[in-house]
Amino acid sequence: MTNSINNIEFVNELVAKTTKILKQEVIDNQQVAYEINTCDVHHLLSVLKTSGWKQLSYLSAVDWPEENKFEVVYILFNWEQPVYIQVRTKIDRENPVVDTITTVFPGAKYYEREAHEFFGIAFPGNPDYMKQLILEGWDDIPPLRKDFDPSAYSAKKFPSREYPQDYSVKDPENHTREKREARKVRGNALRTGGKKQ
Amino acid sequence: MLSTKFTPKTKLTKAEIDRKWWEVGDYFRRNSLWLLMYCTGCCAIELPPSMTSAYDMERLGMGPMATPRQADILLVSGYLSLKTLRRLIYTYEQMSEPKYVVALGSCPINGGIYHDSHAVINQLDQYVPVDVYVAGCMPNPESVLNGFVDLMEGIKNKTMNGWKRYHEHYEWYKENQKNSLGEVIVHDEFHQ
Repeated sequence: MTNSINNIEFVNELVAKTTKILKQEVIDNQQVAYEINTCDVHHLLSVLKTSGWKQLSYLSAVDWPEENKFEVVYILFNWEQPVYIQVRTKIDRENPVVDTITTVFPGAKYYEREAHEFFGIAFPGNPDYMKQLILEGWDDIPPLRKDFDPSAYSAKKFPSREYPQDYSVKDPENHTREKREARKVRGNALRTGGKKQ
Repeated sequence: MLSTKFTPKTKLTKAEIDRKWWEVGDYFRRNSLWLLMYCTGCCAIELPPSMTSAYDMERLGMGPMATPRQADILLVSGYLSLKTLRRLIYTYEQMSEPKYVVALGSCPINGGIYHDSHAVINQLDQYVPVDVYVAGCMPNPESVLNGFVDLMEGIKNKTMNGWKRYHEHYEWYKENQKNSLGEVIVHDEFHQ
């Protein structure tokens, strides 16, 4: 199968046959995304794995605080057909629990640990999802949640340098305008050989 | 004054002799500085042009060194995350004295573009003493080399005393490290 449109149609059929699709999105002719129910993830991923999408490229999450949901995203890669499949599922933000997929993709172990660390999502079934992986000795809410304020954390935790004079640019639109205009006048003067126009 | 058989020999005190030996040592040291490149951030990309034939760091007697115990300069090139800072403190404490720290880029000075990040520290000299800062984002190879020449001048003028400050204010540095890092000890599940 060389035509990428045919590839996406093939994937559409395969996924629709396997599970109920809540929302579908064709990102471009090599990427397609499906939003499905959380309980169907395991089944769909095992079907896709046996159909050729045998590499889990990435597992991560997106925080949607307005909806009070986390969206867990699984990205699958196929070495024969040029289509990435994103499988998305929304879970509750207050009690974020989603079953592990290490039974399908054993390499997801570390992605799940990462997602637990940065979003606080629990992955029951993965024996060490709560171990630290990237952040060492983290002492606040998970840092990639939208309600985490990195600059307040930075101000609290890391001392910053104090300057006797404030050099920061208050008006980014106009702070160089005078210099720029002076430069233009000077350039014009040179262009006429120093003669006044 | 040279002593001849007609003039009495000048007696130097122990401190004076030590100082002279330090000056001799500093002369050789500043002409063969070995760098431990801790390439933490993007400023590391300025080091290949500084080292290779375009700017040729070797003409200043400087060269790369693979191990901390044999290096004179700890070169911090770029931003430091909390994880990296732990390893950096390990490395700094392993280096043999005298040791100098050169920090490249604006991130070790005040955080640079990562000033509001949860993972990147803002000021390196709160945790280890820094002898030379090379400002810029990124500094070009001329300014990197200028920083090294400044370091050599400073060694000659005995102003590069970061490693002595680390001894004197050890508690202060340790307290800062503890406040920002929690604990400096690295727990690594893959090596334990």
